[in-house]
Amino acid sequence: MYEAAAPEDLWSRVEPLLARVERPARYIDREWGAVVPPAADYRVALMYPDAYEVGMANQALQVLAGRLSTLPEVAVERVFVPWTDMAAALRQADVPLFTLESCVPVASCDLLGVTLPYELTYTNVLEALDLARIPLRASDRREGDPLVVAGGPSVHNPEPMAPFFDAMLIGDGEDAVIELVDTHRAVTGRGGSRSEVLQALAEVSGVYVPSLYERAKGGLRPRAGAPARVRRRVVADLSAYESPICPVVPYADVVHDRVTVEVLRGCSRGCRFCQAGMVYRPVRERRADDVVRDAIASLRCTGYEEVSLTSLSTADHSQLEEVLRRLTRRLEGTGIAISVPSLRVDSFTLSLARLLGEGRKSGLTFAPEAGSQRLRDVINKNVTEDELLATTRAAFASGWRRVKLYFMLGLPTETDEDVAAIGGLVARVMQAAREATPKDERGAVRVAVSVSTFVPKAHTPFQWAGQLPTAEVLRRQRVLRDSMPRKGVELSWHDAEVSFLEAVLARGDRRVADGIEAAWRSGAVFDAWTERFSHSRWREAFAAVGIEPSAIAFEPFEPGATLPWAHIDSGLAEPFLLLEWERAQAGHTTPDCTFEACTGCGVCGALGADIVLAGGERHG
Amino acid sequence: MAESFTLRVCFRKMGRLRHLSHLEVARACERAARRAALPYAVSAGFTPRMRIAFGPALPVGTAGEREYMDLVLTRFLPPAEACAALASVTVEELSPVACAYVSGKERSLAAALTIAEYDVHLEGGISHEGLERRIHAFMRTGTLSVEHKGKQKVYDLAEALPKEPMVVSCEDRVLIRMAVRMSERGSLRPDVFVAAALGPEVHVAVTRTDLLIEDQGVWRRPL
Repeated sequence: MYEAAAPEDLWSRVEPLLARVERPARYIDREWGAVVPPAADYRVALMYPDAYEVGMANQALQVLAGRLSTLPEVAVERVFVPWTDMAAALRQADVPLFTLESCVPVASCDLLGVTLPYELTYTNVLEALDLARIPLRASDRREGDPLVVAGGPSVHNPEPMAPFFDAMLIGDGEDAVIELVDTHRAVTGRGGSRSEVLQALAEVSGVYVPSLYERAKGGLRPRAGAPARVRRRVVADLSAYESPICPVVPYADVVHDRVTVEVLRGCSRGCRFCQAGMVYRPVRERRADDVVRDAIASLRCTGYEEVSLTSLSTADHSQLEEVLRRLTRRLEGTGIAISVPSLRVDSFTLSLARLLGEGRKSGLTFAPEAGSQRLRDVINKNVTEDELLATTRAAFASGWRRVKLYFMLGLPTETDEDVAAIGGLVARVMQAAREATPKDERGAVRVAVSVSTFVPKAHTPFQWAGQLPTAEVLRRQRVLRDSMPRKGVELSWHDAEVSFLEAVLARGDRRVADGIEAAWRSGAVFDAWTERFSHSRWREAFAAVGIEPSAIAFEPFEPGATLPWAHIDSGLAEPFLLLEWERAQAGHTTPDCTFEACTGCGVCGALGADIVLAGGERHG
Repeated sequence: MAESFTLRVCFRKMGRLRHLSHLEVARACERAARRAALPYAVSAGFTPRMRIAFGPALPVGTAGEREYMDLVLTRFLPPAEACAALASVTVEELSPVACAYVSGKERSLAAALTIAEYDVHLEGGISHEGLERRIHAFMRTGTLSVEHKGKQKVYDLAEALPKEPMVVSCEDRVLIRMAVRMSERGSLRPDVFVAAALGPEVHVAVTRTDLLIEDQGVWRRPL
């Protein structure tokens, strides 16, 4: 072992660049709540692969930073992807990518942890690695390079990004990151090599080491010491972990710029297209006391003007009304707003509408997803039109004047009648909203309709389905537009070409990595930013490396075929997913196990976890 | 109407935080007031907001030694206590300098503050030699035409700069000390003036050192 020199503080070389770039507040650190990292033996850089103003909203990284900073001699810092102007300035001035807090080269850290929130951030990871001067591919990294580890939602099909990571962590990270860091330190501490580190990491539960798996007939074959399937990590009880009370408060205008308190994890409503609803099972609620305590403490520590109670389906929390009543009382007269995203139509009750309507009103969004009851049954979105209309009346009677509705095009079995039904449903929602609004205010009534394209995702009952070909998506968009009422309706689309790329990156195997690298080399970065996305650049990149993206996005998988993510065990039993796929095609719905009996998804048994309901039971 | 108290806070924006925009500073100050648990007043209406007002905006990249905000409180708190509470929840680079109450009838900071004093530090080892002569020669040209968002704006230098700029040597650096008059029609940016007088190749770091009220020809601080 050699004594490493203290890494260089790059600030004096970074600061002169700031006069030339937009929004320098992205790069300067010194926010309230930013922690000056201690001198430490082991340095961790945690990166969100997008611009500062997107990444600062991510709560997972805050949770993990909190967990890691409890370890002795470990320093944790933040990293984001510099915007294109800053990236050009860094390259021109020959300055490597730096951590925010101590402004040292990212490459000088021992571990670079990257969350993969969704597919369109993949090129940003390569951009950051390149700016950091870390070899893009794990196979090219040497002893002195940081260990590059991924986590987050998109690792449930890790393959398209697998060659760029030394290890990927599947599932809840609270305990797993600690074990990962301990293992890394233990092996390097006794002088172990990089390959010994990787071997040791493969033995940590939930850790996937891509280089230990090779392509073989019928999928990937593990080498000695690597498990055949990597089982997702899950923490049994959220109450055992502190929620981040004093997160960094950004100066720059960022998305979701507010206190967020996670009120529950998981959702077992069982929507068949929804990956989050499958891979974050089981439902684990936090207690009302803990939620209220953390919300108040965090508002006090940050000074934010809004608190958001987040989860996949917050209104399902068995004690939500109690939480809202207590928070509303505590925050009276402060001008602080309470927002509840991810509401479900069937759990947004009249009393909830009143409680939320008392303070500052934040946005109200519901996701019926499909226009016809037939298709809502196919996708297991157990919401009826009557419930949606009743909810709309309750909200507009409580003072809301705008509601946003999410729909999806291209769901399995969809017909033109289903598409046109969206327009009819929106018209009836509009009518209900107007009727519940005083006459002189009806001009202000708005229904925003956002329509995305179905992207089949790993570990869902729809994982076998192919995506609808893009030309057909565009035709159905026209059908929808023709069926949509105009007055008071704000209609917006997700770009079908973007959804196509998402499908390629979500369903592909390891070969897709070559396409991602080729796209980045030809300038693809910040693909989630509409003005930056180039469909032709991606098509050309795939062509250059001999990949036919349409086949990856559109071809269905045969039940029984080895899927690209077969070596990732999310805890869901394959027979359950297959049964759900069959029930979908028959139009049969499946209830939520937090309200009714167990549906046999297999997660609790496989992962040694159980449903945690703070109020003892849920009321449908 | 309930009783209210207008707390005037003088604060600094220094170091790395000089790269913040005016909006970013304003939002940070509001959040600091909440963290400090000051008894701030909230506006009535559909979206209640903290009753807070700021002096003239400081551009991104410009530091400020004595910037101001007025914060309306619902009950009296000794100014030193309010200042200490704010200091305990802010970082040094954006922190209070002084606090005092002003009459609620006082003109708004934005309207009352009409003089800004600046130190423009010249970077890159420029020597004192000849600078004064070049500045004065430029002043004698009488006007400065500035293009802003496609529009030409002509400043009368004697009007825009109520004092002759001074060249000061400070340790081993040279700075130009100047006062700028602010009006509804805008104010001449000191970095623009220096670039026009000395050439665009001169790199500068600008600090607004004071903001003043002009009262019948006499300049005074708002606190």
